[in-house]
Amino acid sequence: MKAEVIVAGHGGQGVLELANWLAYFHLRRGRHVAYTPSYGPETRGGKVKCYVVVSDETIDSPIVEAPDLLIVMNIPSMDYLPLLKPGGNLLVNSSLVKDARRRTDVTVTEIPAVEIAAGLGEFGPTKGTDTSIAANSVMLGAALATTHEAPEHLAEEVEEVFRHFLTGRKSAFIPLNLHAVEAGAAFVARAGVLAAA
Amino acid sequence: MSGDREFLKGNEALAYGALHAGLNAFYGYPITPSSEIPETLATEFGQGNFPEFRSFLQAASELEAINMVNGSAATGAKTMTATSGPGFSLKQEGISYAAGIGLPILVVNVNRAGPGLGNLGPEQSDYFQATRGGGHGGYRAIVLAPDSVQEMAAFPSLGFSLAFRYRTPVVILADAFLGQLKEDLVFPEVSTSSFDTSWAATGARGNQRHVLASLHLELDDQSLATHKLHAKYAEIARQEQRYEELESDDARVVIVAYGICARLARRAVRSLRARSVPVGLFRPITLSPFPNQGIEKLIGQGVRNFLVVELNMGQMVQDVRLAVNGRAQVSSLGQVGGLIPGTEELVRAAEAMVG
Amino acid sequence: MIENEGTLYETKLGPLPTLTSKPTHYCAGCEHGTLTHLIASALQDLGVRERAVLVNSVGCSVLAPDYLNVDAVEAPHGRAPAVMAGIKRARPDLLVFSIQGDGDAASIGLLELMYAANRGDPMTIFLVNNATYGMTGGQMAPTTPIGMVTTTTPRGRDLALTGPPIDASKLVASFERPAYVRRVFLPVTPTPSTEFFNARGALEGALAVRHAFEVQERGGFAFVEFVSTCSVNWKMSVLDSKRYAAQVLAPLFPEGVLRDRFHMESA
Repeated sequence: MKAEVIVAGHGGQGVLELANWLAYFHLRRGRHVAYTPSYGPETRGGKVKCYVVVSDETIDSPIVEAPDLLIVMNIPSMDYLPLLKPGGNLLVNSSLVKDARRRTDVTVTEIPAVEIAAGLGEFGPTKGTDTSIAANSVMLGAALATTHEAPEHLAEEVEEVFRHFLTGRKSAFIPLNLHAVEAGAAFVARAGVLAAA
Repeated sequence: MSGDREFLKGNEALAYGALHAGLNAFYGYPITPSSEIPETLATEFGQGNFPEFRSFLQAASELEAINMVNGSAATGAKTMTATSGPGFSLKQEGISYAAGIGLPILVVNVNRAGPGLGNLGPEQSDYFQATRGGGHGGYRAIVLAPDSVQEMAAFPSLGFSLAFRYRTPVVILADAFLGQLKEDLVFPEVSTSSFDTSWAATGARGNQRHVLASLHLELDDQSLATHKLHAKYAEIARQEQRYEELESDDARVVIVAYGICARLARRAVRSLRARSVPVGLFRPITLSPFPNQGIEKLIGQGVRNFLVVELNMGQMVQDVRLAVNGRAQVSSLGQVGGLIPGTEELVRAAEAMVG
Repeated sequence: MIENEGTLYETKLGPLPTLTSKPTHYCAGCEHGTLTHLIASALQDLGVRERAVLVNSVGCSVLAPDYLNVDAVEAPHGRAPAVMAGIKRARPDLLVFSIQGDGDAASIGLLELMYAANRGDPMTIFLVNNATYGMTGGQMAPTTPIGMVTTTTPRGRDLALTGPPIDASKLVASFERPAYVRRVFLPVTPTPSTEFFNARGALEGALAVRHAFEVQERGGFAFVEFVSTCSVNWKMSVLDSKRYAAQVLAPLFPEGVLRDRFHMESA
């Protein structure tokens, strides 16, 4: 198994976290992983982009030139669409990006991530929080479902991932993010992506 | 922690690698893109997880830092500093003294783009500075070039063992890409055998004492000292050349690359091999001593084309040309400014040499 | 000569176990020779030779390891406090000291001095202030008085061009953490009415050196400045250099204890 991924959006959308979670999920499955954050001024408030490579074999280059999966969180990040491999998957945060269907040789899945996250309802430890901050976890769930990584024990595995990153006071956000991942995966399942595979 | 699979940035992995290798002291000055090294060490300092880690200080300057490094190293402590380009320039004073005095120090340079302030992107433009000594006087440091987060974690241990074996400065020359790259890694088991520190300045005994100095006012004395130093470098060159080869057995063109460029080259080689184009990779792991033995072997195998890929305008290519000594064609492919060449660029350049 | 690479080697003992048998290269009348003996005596009296590490940086005292029979580590010009900090942090049981010149401590090494002082690192620094660069041939020092002729101020040090001399002791004492800061006028001085010399400075100096080591043993940063002479580079007779020091340097760099956190127990 090998997958090359680009995750792109803007500062504050949790793009780097999403990419880290995705990489670590695969690491826990015994795979080699490489994560590269974007460089330079573009990380400040503007575009944020990272590469994730996951593979059963040793990874040659961590640089993703032609992704199998492109996760787009905002409009400017659609600039990376031409890089997507023919037959690849584009996951779009359709809460912000309305015209994602620009290529016919790739599978486009539009996920209203912000609305899904906002509609999750309140969770004990994070009561009162605007749950739309979990949009990146919705996209993580969608990504795992799209790449057929959504087994029965998804929640348990993802919980371990969150436990690794969300420590201390941040651990209060684990239940919210877990629900977001499940909602994202469920949305993709309903959208029939799995059936098409 | 040892044995478990970790997910760390190159800089973090290097810091923990040093701790696993028994780091005693670290002195540094923050500079992007190497600051995660002092930050990680600051987090661990005094927490009891690494009891041998006795001294950590953010110094007032790179100069103060490197001289603190020399002070701790003079007592036989495993001592390290880390920096990037502009800071590496400032550290040359102390590195020259460490070479002249014979102090085992470990200096990490996470190469950013230059000259001057440059930018924070990856370059390999400090190759000359690192491999030619960099400071005043005719000396050399051993220079190790990791190409993965795994090696970022493993090389402090290797660096210390070489530094103490030869009582010489060792430089780990990484780049901004490797510093920020996160990969899975396993901290290797580190040998706990201690190094010979009988030379260290830890107090006189009877009428015997240790004087750690590079001053030789008599011309004959200086000449002798320099000859001894270079006899040591010759021994290092004989014993310590390290390199890795990929698909080079039947290669007609061999890409020579280190650090992040070696990773790009791996992909290019696999892509070419998938189309049965006979291209291989030669990856120097020690940049100093340069692995001439490996180049010699490839020449003996009949390789007549080398493509040197670097993030500079052509520095290591000079060492390759020296090793090849006119017996093969050597081409250079460079990229600078923090940019990284694309796989297609490497593939085309290598293919053009296959003819 | 010092052997290469600091291999363990044997030293022929001098009059004290803390001294080698080698005659110093210091010029006739130079206070470096006096200070060498004061340090050797203090190390011997305190019984700390086996824990002592001398850090020699650049200046006339760069050859101090040839005379003081202790372990030594060489520092680049001005960096002795940084090297000492490194030694002391790795091995707090050792006793580290330097003999620095005015150019070493107050010019090229001012940052290293100030930061060691600000941290209050346990170490002992002896500053020999002779108002000139002795080893490099009599150039202007940070402590050169206004008007003094040196090889780089051939028409006398110009206030407008270079600013006034730097008072290193006052600067060190301006930091909160140094435990002992003292300035001693070291040269013997001709007494006004007789042909005898007053060696009071050497006696004061002996006490100051010893206390500066004791302060470090108690965890403090100790700094003693010795106002000194350099007749060769001042281009004066030895006797005239003592007079000049008494007349010009003594008022510019007044003697005194600027800080003593661990009061000297007995004099």
